[in-house]
Amino acid sequence: MNKKNKILPWQYSISSILLIGLIVVFPIIYTIYISFTNMNLYHWTNYDFIGFGNYIRALTKLDSGFMSALLTTIVWTVINMVIQILAAYIIALGLNAKGLKLARLYKTLLMFPWAMPAYISILLWRVGIYNPQYGLLNKIRTALGLSSMNFLSENIPAFLSCMVLNLWMALPFLIMMMDGALQSVDISYYESARLDGGGWWTQNLYITIPLIRPVLAPSIIMTTFTTFKQFDIIYLLTMQKGSLTGSTIQTVITYAHQNAFVSNNYGLSSAVSIVIFGFIIFFSIFVNRGIREESE
Amino acid sequence: MRKMVLVLCIVMAVSIFTGCSRSSQSVAAKQKNKEALNTIRIWHDGDKALIQLMENYLNEALIDDGITVKFEQKSGLTDQIKLYGNDEVNGPDMYMYAHDSLGMFVEMGALAPLTDVIDKNVYADMLPMTLKAGNYKNDQYLMPVYFETLLFIYNKDLWEGEVPSATEDLYSYMKSHTDAAAGTYALVNQHSTAYNVAPIINGFGGFILNEQAEPGLNNRKTKEAIEYNKKFAQLEADGDYNTVNALFKDGKAAAIIGGPWLISGVKEAKINYGIKSLCDFKLPNGNTLIPYSGVQGIGVMKHAARSKKDAVEKVLNEIANPQLGIDLAQNSGCAPSNQKSYNTESVANDEMIAAMRRTADIAQPMPNIPQMSVMWGPAESLLAAVNKSGKELDAAADDYQKEAETAIADMQ
Amino acid sequence: MNKKTTDRIVRLSILNILFIILCFITLIPIIYAFLLSISSGSSAFGSGFLFPENPTLKNYKAILVEEPFLIWFKNSVVLSLGTMILAMSTSVTASYAFSRFRFRGRNGMLKLLLLLNAFPQILSMFAIFRLFKNMNLLNNYIGLILIYAGSMCIFSIWNMKGYFDTIPIEIEESARIDGAGSGQIIWRIILPLARPAIIVTAVMVLIFVWNEYLFATTFLMNEENYNLAGGLYQLQANDYSRNWSLFSAAAILVSVPILILFFSIQKYMVSGLVTGGVKG
Repeated sequence: MNKKNKILPWQYSISSILLIGLIVVFPIIYTIYISFTNMNLYHWTNYDFIGFGNYIRALTKLDSGFMSALLTTIVWTVINMVIQILAAYIIALGLNAKGLKLARLYKTLLMFPWAMPAYISILLWRVGIYNPQYGLLNKIRTALGLSSMNFLSENIPAFLSCMVLNLWMALPFLIMMMDGALQSVDISYYESARLDGGGWWTQNLYITIPLIRPVLAPSIIMTTFTTFKQFDIIYLLTMQKGSLTGSTIQTVITYAHQNAFVSNNYGLSSAVSIVIFGFIIFFSIFVNRGIREESE
Repeated sequence: MRKMVLVLCIVMAVSIFTGCSRSSQSVAAKQKNKEALNTIRIWHDGDKALIQLMENYLNEALIDDGITVKFEQKSGLTDQIKLYGNDEVNGPDMYMYAHDSLGMFVEMGALAPLTDVIDKNVYADMLPMTLKAGNYKNDQYLMPVYFETLLFIYNKDLWEGEVPSATEDLYSYMKSHTDAAAGTYALVNQHSTAYNVAPIINGFGGFILNEQAEPGLNNRKTKEAIEYNKKFAQLEADGDYNTVNALFKDGKAAAIIGGPWLISGVKEAKINYGIKSLCDFKLPNGNTLIPYSGVQGIGVMKHAARSKKDAVEKVLNEIANPQLGIDLAQNSGCAPSNQKSYNTESVANDEMIAAMRRTADIAQPMPNIPQMSVMWGPAESLLAAVNKSGKELDAAADDYQKEAETAIADMQ
Repeated sequence: MNKKTTDRIVRLSILNILFIILCFITLIPIIYAFLLSISSGSSAFGSGFLFPENPTLKNYKAILVEEPFLIWFKNSVVLSLGTMILAMSTSVTASYAFSRFRFRGRNGMLKLLLLLNAFPQILSMFAIFRLFKNMNLLNNYIGLILIYAGSMCIFSIWNMKGYFDTIPIEIEESARIDGAGSGQIIWRIILPLARPAIIVTAVMVLIFVWNEYLFATTFLMNEENYNLAGGLYQLQANDYSRNWSLFSAAAILVSVPILILFFSIQKYMVSGLVTGGVKG
């Protein structure tokens, strides 16, 4: 694994890099450019450079509200990731059990949440599951003789509701990745483990997990970022205009949206985006360890 | 495997080809200058049947002039106009939308005043309220088509006795006829949506945003109104649009406060409904409820006012024709902006249209200054915090007032 | 021996029951959508979870016949395949390079890609809009395919690189001794061996495009050119016009093609390594 070649790898990746440059890097540079201008409703086409003005204002947005949003986002990311990884691993192990003939069918059914466009699933959950009048959860509660409750009106129940929905929507991907990874594990390892008398725990901890970790690390890192950036679920479930539910959970992204994007001030919101992007980079130092191990 | 790749490549090539031919088509279209000049594209985000009716009407009326009008639906119209409002090639020539986003589009420099194209006399017959809605900084930008206000819609089979004319009597009726545990309600309303609470706020003399662009969320009168609304909210179910709508259509709620857009669904559910104007309800302070009105109007993009002046002029003239209002009233139940349309008996006698026409005299058009676009959020958050999460009113009002002030400051 | 078999049968039955429960729980919201979609009443939203009294397929018919469903479907297919080809053809070689070569800037590049990916895509829309307007790529499938492929490129590179890393280098070396060139090695050896990862990544790209509506409805001018998700989004975009039965039928109709695809590709998802790439 130690090929040394100076030009060939760049030849292989040049088309990707161009594509990424066009679709990912250019917008970031453009956003930086706009963040130094006063482009807003009143200077829509005739905007000028105004230096760091927007950044000074953007920094005032990093108040206690932002800090609590950041904390919420970190808690949200950590809890979601831990549950997702554990659940997906266990489910994928089950799917790979020897002799489970219906595994293909189960797998397909479990992928259903993923096959639906996200906004549709979220709206279905809002009215079908969480609605205080008609939602399934409240129908069950009423059937059990409990009073109906509004799951989305206060922060903690709303946070948990968003989390359950996020798990529902995100698990299929990880199950699929884990399943693929488990299938790449060479069965002969297990046979030798069984001969050595290793139990279920030993098998998993010392053989399976170390074997699939390099395969999975990238997808887990990607999922972590997606979870961190999650906007649709929290927004559509609790704070869509016309259907506010009363809870005030804010993540970094919803906070930015509410504080900079509704005002149609592109200069200011670009500055806020760049500042937040900076924060995400800072956050990713936490996951950096995973990256370093992975790329060794 | 190779074969599959080959097939995929062909598909790709075809897709590129269709992509190219599309763009070459638009080049060809530019060359056919004459034809393009006589095609007016109007963006909207409205009801299909209604728009179809307007399109047919305009095309029939303009057939001798060789003008074609094309309505194109765009969801998220506000964002689309931000991107395409000044784009002569891809963007629309005109747009049709509720009037509250008007100020924003004008400030962006996307719209031309109507008087650049037509004479004032053309819209002289419009209801004054609808003209005011389309007027920004003393220029008329929107040609009003029809307007909407909230109404009190009740189920005649469920409502016992007369509908009261005082909100206090309404409240006592609600108290005795609501059983939340059994899921039956006297009246439901989107009690945490700013638009639906505005009748009370305005009636109390409070305001969400005044003409000087100052938010009034912690104004004393606004707070009194929110407190008053809260008392009703507790008897009005969850207040989410889908919930209240379904409750009324299922016969679980005897009445609903809602707009004319509900009526087609109510008819489909075979509900024997009656309608009362909100200005027929008296608040304890002697005022009536004063709802917001929303005016659907058509505005002209700057570039179209320049390059397609003649065609745009003819289209606007036809839109101002009272017959269009009559057709819209008869087929879609819209309340026309043109006062002359009401001379037709079937329009004047329609229960719902008559109720809205009467409300039009006292209703306040939603503010159309750009600042309004950032007010809906804080106003709704305040209502939800008070009605749904049980937050203390004074503190919440101060918080959201501040949020609104920051949002307005952020616009500059 | 006999006891062992019964043991296995018991264990498998328990596992089956657990999976049936799990699938059922997962499918509850979808069952809800399905029940809504076949109900006829106008207040369908309220009736959920009960089997409707007069089940009807009229909502499906309405979408299939009255709306340009088939055109949107075709557009979705074209866009997804186009994106898949572009994204995969660029990222397979790139992830191979990042996996196999140790070159200057490799680590930095990998990390940079990851960080770039953290920039919320929704913020990019305005910039891409300006860029494409100048490049004349608005209202054009090539433009959209570029956006989609570019958005999924980093993901694809990372996702496949992890898998490529696990393929023993020895296989390649022996092929090289046999005189195979780099291109041939990727095509003949890496691709078959990494099949599960490649398929998973390709499916991810496909689903992303299939369910994307924001860029499609913003960058395409004509409703007829929309993809499925975009068309249906437009159809039911705001609360006031939403007919829940129709909306649910649309939701099911969008998802089914993906599920069929998913079910049919599963047999290809077994790793080339396990099925004998090494041993054979």
